[in-house]
Amino acid sequence: MLRMEIALLLVIAFIACMYFSAERKRTQLNKVFSVLLITVLVHLIFDGITVYTVARLDTVPELLNEIAHRLFIGTLVLIVYLFYKYISVLVAEESGKHWYLDRAANIFLVLAEIGVAILPVHYAVTPLGNYSDGIHVVVCYASVTFYLLMCAALLVFNWKQLQRKERLAVGVALIIQCSVSLLQSLNPTWLISGAGITLMTLSFYLTLENPDILRAELTEQKMSMKYLKSQVNPHFLYNTLDTIRIQAQLNGDKEVSDLLMRLVDFFRHSVKVNMPMVALDDEMELLEAYMDLMCYRYPELKCEYDIDPELGGVMVPNFILQPIVENSLLHGLKNKGYRGEVNIIARKLAEHEDKMEILIVDTGSGFAEGKKEKIDSMLRTYARYEADMDGNSIGVLNVQKRIKLLCGKACGLNYTENPGGGVTAHLLLPLKEETR
Amino acid sequence: MRKLRVLLVDDEIMIREGFKKLFDWEAHGCVVAGEAADGMEALAKIDTLNPDIVIMDINIPIVNGLKVIKMSRIKHPDTAFIIVSGYDDFSYCREALRLKITDYILKPVNYEEFGTCIDNLKISMYQENVSQEPEAQDERIINSITRFMQEHLAEEMSLSVLSEEFHMNPQYISQLFKNEIGVGFLAYLTSIRMEKAKKLLLSTSLSIGEVAEQSGYGDYRVFTKVFKKSEGITPSQYRRDFLWRE
Repeated sequence: MLRMEIALLLVIAFIACMYFSAERKRTQLNKVFSVLLITVLVHLIFDGITVYTVARLDTVPELLNEIAHRLFIGTLVLIVYLFYKYISVLVAEESGKHWYLDRAANIFLVLAEIGVAILPVHYAVTPLGNYSDGIHVVVCYASVTFYLLMCAALLVFNWKQLQRKERLAVGVALIIQCSVSLLQSLNPTWLISGAGITLMTLSFYLTLENPDILRAELTEQKMSMKYLKSQVNPHFLYNTLDTIRIQAQLNGDKEVSDLLMRLVDFFRHSVKVNMPMVALDDEMELLEAYMDLMCYRYPELKCEYDIDPELGGVMVPNFILQPIVENSLLHGLKNKGYRGEVNIIARKLAEHEDKMEILIVDTGSGFAEGKKEKIDSMLRTYARYEADMDGNSIGVLNVQKRIKLLCGKACGLNYTENPGGGVTAHLLLPLKEETR
Repeated sequence: MRKLRVLLVDDEIMIREGFKKLFDWEAHGCVVAGEAADGMEALAKIDTLNPDIVIMDINIPIVNGLKVIKMSRIKHPDTAFIIVSGYDDFSYCREALRLKITDYILKPVNYEEFGTCIDNLKISMYQENVSQEPEAQDERIINSITRFMQEHLAEEMSLSVLSEEFHMNPQYISQLFKNEIGVGFLAYLTSIRMEKAKKLLLSTSLSIGEVAEQSGYGDYRVFTKVFKKSEGITPSQYRRDFLWRE
């Protein structure tokens, strides 16, 4: 018997470790479950102790035996109360209202605990084994029956409000606990109450309190918040922009309408971010729309393209050119008052048959003192940097990570300084057409 | 040539106004006969006005654009439908193509480039007429000219080439195109060259350079530029998009 108690204790201790170490939401339900876990642990310890002491009534001091029994029965009553509480909180969460018998359950708990503490303990000695009986144990059976009935009532009356998963968990737990209690009351020497409680706790843990499920819910919540923030319905955005564009053109302002046209183009292409790879042609359209707008804003900014037309169909990671060009503008040409040039060159490489190179050459201010070393080391050890780190290199780092991930380690981004000033970004990419 | 009557359908008044005022209908031999703001109104106007061209958004209230086409097809088999949609979504496009629409263009509409769309429509109407006419002895001159152009598409082609071939004044030939087909010579030439190029792109695996050459463009850079302007995408994109979505 003692061996089973130890095994059960280990199971619950393991679950408690898993449960408390996992990241999770802290709802009332989770709090009740935490208390339940600890109480079950304490209960199983005293269960083990009483199993040992009740078999040795003549050698173990009577007071020790009595205290162990009172704690054992006391925690048992608390556990069935917590089971009830757990289900009641679950129902309250789903249906939005508290149950009117909650108060009765609380009062009953106090009465039962007082009873457990003061009523005399009596032991039955039989050839099959010893066990406690008498009024003390009647209190215990009464509380278990009372709370199990309450649980069953909760389940039945709120059947429709509960999700399928919850009904199943609660139902299974109740059936387990009912049958174990029944067996225990018919065969008092079996001493299996600990097993029932463990199984019931386990069934809740596996279904409703599983850390993986809870963590998934938590992540999902975080993600959906982020998503909501970043998501303005793109159709609303460019439909509205288009209306403004037409109005501008109707007012005779061709320039504004052309600019808005480019902006709409830019948005249209940038909402395709869910595709990991796109054709270079598509990527260039996004970049051209962006550069047209920037060049309009800064008339002394010039942009030249030299794209080998054979490369139009080559697949490249989505959204890699615009961040690099933006970086060139913000860290190179901005310092020169946006006076200068950006050249974008895409060409095949003589030395690699299966690679192409895209160069983004700017005539900006070049790297500040020590900046090149920093960028170089960041791009070399890209994997160690967090993608969501602050600062202005995040775009460049992100590009590097995606190229490495999507095209392999041999490809990637690096920077060189131009002899005449400014920097060149070199993107080494695979020369692969779209395959079906 | 008779003026083509156009019905504009869009739930947004600004889009209709833009079409009405920013596109030179007169120059393209068209006239805006009416407007509708939803699918129901569109169906009624198609019945009463019997337009030659319906320019319509898909996402319109009450009855959507695709349904409007389906429902009016039976009574008005000759009406040409041009879909203008903000939905960059091929499932719409595929369904629209199944309904034999004339063209599918994406918002935002560039009014300068919309003319190509009308030109292509006129050319296809002309070609339909030619194919229906029995081959008579006294074939119309324009028909011989266009047949000659089709047969010599890969070669150099200009009004002066035609004038030598047919012993006619270049201005006269130019006028002939305007009167008989309703589009300029150059627009016609570009259109049939693009048709040829599209056919080659989809049915052969010729390189872009070879497609350009066979469609009458010595320089594939020029070809790519013209193609992009007419189709909105580059030749390689066109080939990819269609092969991919089959």
